[in-house]
Amino acid sequence: MNIATVEPWVEAPLRRFVDDARARLALLLHPSGQVIAQAGFTREVDVMSACALAAASHATAGELGRRVDGHAFRSLHYAGPDRQLFLSPVETARGAYICLTVFNAESSLGLVRIYFEELCNDLAAAAPPLPAIRQPTIAADFELDLNRNLAALFGRHHP
Amino acid sequence: MSLVNYATREITCKIVYYGPGRSGKTTNLHYIYGQVPDDRKGRMVSLATQTDRTLFFDFLPLDLGSISGFTTKFQLYTVPGQVYYQATRKLVLQGADGVVFVADSQARQLGENIESFQDLHANLAEQGIDARTVPLVLQYNKQDLPRDLILTTAELSDAINFRSVPEFPADALHGPGVFETLRSIAEVVLKRLSAGTSAGVVAGARG
Repeated sequence: MNIATVEPWVEAPLRRFVDDARARLALLLHPSGQVIAQAGFTREVDVMSACALAAASHATAGELGRRVDGHAFRSLHYAGPDRQLFLSPVETARGAYICLTVFNAESSLGLVRIYFEELCNDLAAAAPPLPAIRQPTIAADFELDLNRNLAALFGRHHP
Repeated sequence: MSLVNYATREITCKIVYYGPGRSGKTTNLHYIYGQVPDDRKGRMVSLATQTDRTLFFDFLPLDLGSISGFTTKFQLYTVPGQVYYQATRKLVLQGADGVVFVADSQARQLGENIESFQDLHANLAEQGIDARTVPLVLQYNKQDLPRDLILTTAELSDAINFRSVPEFPADALHGPGVFETLRSIAEVVLKRLSAGTSAGVVAGARG
């Protein structure tokens, strides 16, 4: 399965998870909706949209849980006619992530849950610590680049 | 929070368009979506009611291109403006790198603008964020309406812009002010990142 990652250390655990759980798609994202890794996505399902919706769904479930049960609901399972999804948080030394898993009749919720626990353990073990120092990443004169790109982006509408 | 990937040299920032109901937040995104070339934008997602009012959020990913050697992407979100969607506004605001506050220039909407601005500050404070540290740009929308119905930029500035942040008159339906606003928030957010003061997710090996 095709896997693309923003953080290289998540690749091996994620690959093992999608193979073992027989997942069709998997998405690891930051709670703010930014993608960390994806497995199996094609043009059919847009990664960025899926991230935004998964983050929103997870945040909604958490807030609903806090309101009706005093604690955030952590995991979600939705079932469609052909595909199901499982949404659950993963804690690592790099912070909390959310994992969206899509599976079909070749797998089951039970199987996904079992291997999801392994994924959590694998990611926790593989996560490098956060860098202690964050250096500036952008040159001070970045405005030239910004203006050039905005002009390209907005065409005649930008001076 | 910005996602900075040193391995692939990518930066991803989240911008939230905030403001009272019907001030034109979604209209801003629709205009941007309509004008930006296909290869620079992703799919726009709108979670709206049957009457096209924003229920949860609108989402538009934009590719700004290469800035200082980093492929720079912006994710634009709107919040639902109506007062009773307070809970969802808080959720969408999580992890925002910058906020565009879209005010409705109509004189009769001044109270709603102020209430929404206070709501923004309260929601940031609830997340432990000092509103004074968040990149913010104000847009005074609907300046195309008849003069006798709207407040001037100076009047709106006096009422809302006590932090003296960048502000822009706009007509989001037809375009004036839309890109100027986006350009300004992009600049403020990237300057903050450049100064190393933005809380960010750092990924990959340092390049």
